[in-house]
Amino acid sequence: MMDATKTIINYTHRQAGHCESGATSNLFKFNGLELSEPMAFGIGNGLYFSYIPFLKIQFAPMISFRNLPNTVFKRSTAYLGIESTVVKKIKDPREAMQMLDRNLEKGIPTGCQVGVFQLTFFPPEYRMHYNMHNLVVFGKEGNMYHVSDTVMEFPQLITYEDLLRVRYAKGAFAPQGKMYWINHAIDKPVDLKPAIVLGIKKTVYEMIGIPFPLIGVKGLRWMARDLKKWPRKHGDDKAAFYLGQILRMAEDFGTGGAGFRYIYGAFLKEAGEMFGNHMELLEASDMMGKTANKWRDFTYMGARNCKNRSKPEEDYGTLSEKLLDIAVSEEKVYQKLKKIKF
Amino acid sequence: MRDTNSEANGKMTSDNELIYKYNRELFYHFDKDKGFTQKVDYQNPNNQVIIKQGWDAAEQRLDEVRQLVIQGKASPIAYYMEKILMEVPMLAAYMEIPKWRVKRHLKSKVFKKIKPETLVKYASVFEITVEELKHPGFLK
Repeated sequence: MMDATKTIINYTHRQAGHCESGATSNLFKFNGLELSEPMAFGIGNGLYFSYIPFLKIQFAPMISFRNLPNTVFKRSTAYLGIESTVVKKIKDPREAMQMLDRNLEKGIPTGCQVGVFQLTFFPPEYRMHYNMHNLVVFGKEGNMYHVSDTVMEFPQLITYEDLLRVRYAKGAFAPQGKMYWINHAIDKPVDLKPAIVLGIKKTVYEMIGIPFPLIGVKGLRWMARDLKKWPRKHGDDKAAFYLGQILRMAEDFGTGGAGFRYIYGAFLKEAGEMFGNHMELLEASDMMGKTANKWRDFTYMGARNCKNRSKPEEDYGTLSEKLLDIAVSEEKVYQKLKKIKF
Repeated sequence: MRDTNSEANGKMTSDNELIYKYNRELFYHFDKDKGFTQKVDYQNPNNQVIIKQGWDAAEQRLDEVRQLVIQGKASPIAYYMEKILMEVPMLAAYMEIPKWRVKRHLKSKVFKKIKPETLVKYASVFEITVEELKHPGFLK
């Protein structure tokens, strides 16, 4: 495995708020289309919410603020009509690494889904068994790979063995060697508008249209109602831990609940400008920004409860009301978006 | 509430308040006048508390399992599984054996009967030696 070959692609690492939309945006830029992170996030339906109380992940109910892995890349390339390749599952790890090497030799920076638990350069405080992380490999030097991880301030190095290991982390949403890339340079001009419309419609559907009570705004309401019952049902300690889990999912990596709403708001603003200062889009963007700030208030209140769990400072009832209020203001944004005729 | 919020986010975070200073991340903010902005910074102290709570809970669980192992109510596998933050389904996936077998291996009685080659595999998943697996340091 130790060969002296050296291939480093001229790839620009830009930090981002969300790993996958950041990777997607950077891959677009490399191929000649300047697409901001919020744009990739908005078109690719990064925004999502689901609450599955009967599934426990890391000892607490499963809460997800993000869509399934690879949604952002797949949908944004599809909606923009750009040819891309996604290899979902590669059985043999060595084969997966060879495929990656071949791509690098061809000069194609390649996105990989990885688990973060054994990701050597990752901040230690985040290294839990979380498998939905994304990074882009853009170079190889002997046994070392150059990777761009948008959580990190700078590009990183990782060994062959370590990269193989994180690409084959096991557990929920195991990456199974998944890799993706854009096939060739984007040489003709791309019209973003139709993709933006498709992206908004899909997100509106996923947040208020799915007839299932645990997904989207409905799921948020369900969680808010459950939250109120936790102290009586599980005791103060466990209630504080569950609440902590909501907050961790909402704020980890600077994204999650609050962060994603900021990114989406920024997307709506950019979209509004692109549609000739579209009043309704700009208003929706403002509303989304305010909702995001409400999320941050919520985590701020919640964190005080976690600090002092035997004597909760904030009543769980108040927190629950705060969440319901967030659900109302989010729903208003989606209703508004739904009514827009493009 | 908007005021407490801007206090939480806008206040200059003095370094001694922070627990985690490994990497600065990109955060988005929204302000009525300035609109959406981006800023590279450490995770704010408020969120660091939440992250720490997760790790404290993990440590507490590990302590509990350690006690069970000392009392002979659980096998060292239960301890090492907790130590690398795994649960039965995930450990079974790494071990490539059914979940019910892993569950049995968590009992101290069954642990004594596990085949040496299975122990070797457990040790490699936990990244320790077989000796450490059989006789964890805290038992001595």
